[in-house]
Amino acid sequence: MELLQQRNGQAFSYLYDNYSGALFSIVNAIVTDRETANDVLQNVFVNIWKKIESYDASKGRLFTWMLNIARNAAIDEIRSKSHQNAQKNQPIGENMELAGAVTGPSVYDVGLKKVLNKLKEEWRVLIDLSYFQGFTHEEIAKILGIPLGTVKTRIRSALMQLRIMIQ
Amino acid sequence: MNIQEYILSGIVESNVLGLASDEERREFEQMCRQYPEVLQARVAFELALEKQAMANAVAPAAGLKNKILEEVDAGAKVVSISAAPLRKMNGWKYAAAACIALLAGSIYLNVSLSGKNKKLKGEYDKTAAKLDVLEKDFDVLHSESQSIKMAALKGTDVSPQSYTTVFWDTTSHDVYLMATNLPAPADSMQYQLWALFDGTPIDLGMLDYDLKQKKLLVRMKNAQNAQAFAITLEKKGRTNVNTPEGQMYVLGKL
Repeated sequence: MELLQQRNGQAFSYLYDNYSGALFSIVNAIVTDRETANDVLQNVFVNIWKKIESYDASKGRLFTWMLNIARNAAIDEIRSKSHQNAQKNQPIGENMELAGAVTGPSVYDVGLKKVLNKLKEEWRVLIDLSYFQGFTHEEIAKILGIPLGTVKTRIRSALMQLRIMIQ
Repeated sequence: MNIQEYILSGIVESNVLGLASDEERREFEQMCRQYPEVLQARVAFELALEKQAMANAVAPAAGLKNKILEEVDAGAKVVSISAAPLRKMNGWKYAAAACIALLAGSIYLNVSLSGKNKKLKGEYDKTAAKLDVLEKDFDVLHSESQSIKMAALKGTDVSPQSYTTVFWDTTSHDVYLMATNLPAPADSMQYQLWALFDGTPIDLGMLDYDLKQKKLLVRMKNAQNAQAFAITLEKKGRTNVNTPEGQMYVLGKL
């Protein structure tokens, strides 16, 4: 860890070799387009490198920290203008992502998403919207037309179930 | 607050997964410092999540690592240039190396793309040719002209399950065969199509069995007159091809 925070190239290389695959699977689950996912992962590692000094081991494991950087970068990408434009080229309505999230099953049946697919529908949708698409609780309440309090309790229950499943 | 209830409320997961609000996060960090059980639950979930993610790792593109190393290396060098101007030359070297690497990458990409492109073009041409054939067949089947007649040839006792359709254009005299179900002939044998007119068989040509497997409609010799059509199985290379000698497999009237 110290080596990393001193920006040691070898330590960084080790980090990449060990964690790029795991982080890529998360990015891929969110971005779905593989080429874009590679670009996002590149930014993720550059950011990890730049921000490594701000990593605080008392607040969580290094992997957790990197995973959150990866998830945030992927969500930023699907929310970005260029990504939205690319989506618009497809002959589907503007709310495609919302509609897809609420009704369709996940295309990428890998990693966490695989676990997610085993959750019951009402929980799966909530985790998909909050974790994989980055919507706030307020937004989810609006999208699904259910009270904010219900969104919060259901997400908590869904997360508990998720923990039981991956442990 | 009951600590066990707090741990089991989903707060641990939503914090680790980055789904908690700022307020929840501050509270959670405080709880982790205060209660070892909370910290333990956090670490346990983090490890489980990490294990899950590692088990489902998907390798990114092969060249990505070098791209990243180049980018971070370049970034680090920019910092060192401003800090130590004497090392400027190093920066140029790296920049040059990066350019060469980029160039090599671009050449490789071009070559591989051009290869892919060629392959796709070949596949496209093949598909277009196939489509062309099918379209011609389709035109025959869907002809607006009233002059196309159809004969359904049913299997004889020799081969009751055989079934073949003949389309005959009474104006142009073109004959097309759709051999739906004929058994594969022995190497020394071949099928021959006949038109029957006033009891006389007229040779309409040999059927290329392999071609029949690939094409929907097989064009045969033109027929000036016909009341019925038949297919017989004949020996290859016989001299008198105008007289049927083998067994009849299918027969049908117009």
